[in-house]
Amino acid sequence: MEEPSKFEQYVYKNASVYHYMKISLVLENGNKYITDAQFKQLIICGLKDLYGEVGASFPFDLLKFDQNKLTGILRVYNSGLVKLWSALTLLGTYQNEACAFRVMQVSPFLLALSGNSRELQFGDQLTL
Amino acid sequence: MSPELEKCPRSLLVCEKSNFLNEKSRHDIHVSKHNFNYKISVLIPDCEALPANISSAFHSFSSYYLVRELPVYQLLEETFIESHVKKGNFYALSYNTKIDEENTIALLSSVVTLDLTDKSLTPGTKRYQRVLSSLKDRLPLRYDFLLTKYNTGSDEDQTLIKLLSQYSYEEHKPAFSHHTLKNIPCPTLYPSDIQGKTLSCDPHHFLEWLGAVNLDISCENAADSFLSTYVCPEPQSSVSQALLCTVTGFISPENVFVLLQELRQYIDEPKFTPWISLTVHGFMDSPVSWGATEHGFLKGGENLYNFVCFKNQDYWLHMATGAQDGCPP
Repeated sequence: MEEPSKFEQYVYKNASVYHYMKISLVLENGNKYITDAQFKQLIICGLKDLYGEVGASFPFDLLKFDQNKLTGILRVYNSGLVKLWSALTLLGTYQNEACAFRVMQVSPFLLALSGNSRELQFGDQLTL
Repeated sequence: MSPELEKCPRSLLVCEKSNFLNEKSRHDIHVSKHNFNYKISVLIPDCEALPANISSAFHSFSSYYLVRELPVYQLLEETFIESHVKKGNFYALSYNTKIDEENTIALLSSVVTLDLTDKSLTPGTKRYQRVLSSLKDRLPLRYDFLLTKYNTGSDEDQTLIKLLSQYSYEEHKPAFSHHTLKNIPCPTLYPSDIQGKTLSCDPHHFLEWLGAVNLDISCENAADSFLSTYVCPEPQSSVSQALLCTVTGFISPENVFVLLQELRQYIDEPKFTPWISLTVHGFMDSPVSWGATEHGFLKGGENLYNFVCFKNQDYWLHMATGAQDGCPP
């Protein structure tokens, strides 16, 4: 067993390389069948429409995709956050149907996306 | 392309390494100062079944109350201050108020902007009367509140229930769940190497991996995959099973401390588990994070901390906040 540690402290400012986004796709006429690849491709098309081939040429990961709820978790380098977020905001159609991306949570820590206190909801009716 | 497009909000991560048995260890202060806790997550590698002592700790968490349309001045009433505030271990936070859009109210039994323990705010003084009448008459603020009190005796419970019964309220127990993960890649951590220079993986990658485990994100992707290239950080090893427990609600720091003690006891016993992780998420819309350090919400409201406990009672403590927060202590 290792010897007990002495105290050490390190402060990291802006050391997180990535930002993480929890997003949801809302379709005007209700949910469609969309695969994870189609979901990511839709976002890539949005980026290219806004920033062109060169401007959109940065990688991002679709870490997780829920096909039933059409929600996803994205990972993007910090330098691509603004472009990705703006492209999501301005994306308006999918296969000729009106749609919108809702950005539910953004954080430089993926761990923070697993604890969103705004999800703590109770019913409107209270019983005493 | 404009360089402005490549900017992003500031983030802070404070990492501390110490030993629980060190008399100068600040682990108890850090836990006690983080007042408003929404979710706790525990990960125990090489563990299949929920240990009895840890299960008991989770199930001993205090209830909390959601009370509707509580006037803010009630929190300043003399009987309320005497019965609950001055005795400590009482916490209240306005519910469903987004700090980046509207007012948020928080009550700590310690120093805040309105220090209820200050002499000038003793019931009967001019300042106290002025504050009370302002909140009653000029600015009659009413909010839904989450309230909790740690380890209340039956008498104190009765006083609280008497106050709450004037309004619509509900009692809730924190929601607990657990499941076992099978055959997962797991980062290797050595207590002496918190920075991840040689033996361990570095703190940001470790916290990212913890997030992936909590969110059920695959850690085994090919480097040329179209969808995701995320993999478990190096150095790593495969564990056949790991236990993940979560509890959500309005959780007092005293409950967190009890759980931490039980986790320390668990890892002290001979077993394969090399380390245990305890993550505590603060409320996004709390006006304070650690103690009275201001907390805000710019693009996100993260204020979380994570303990990694090792066999020799060494620990790592990571404290993470976002753009509009003071630096954790």
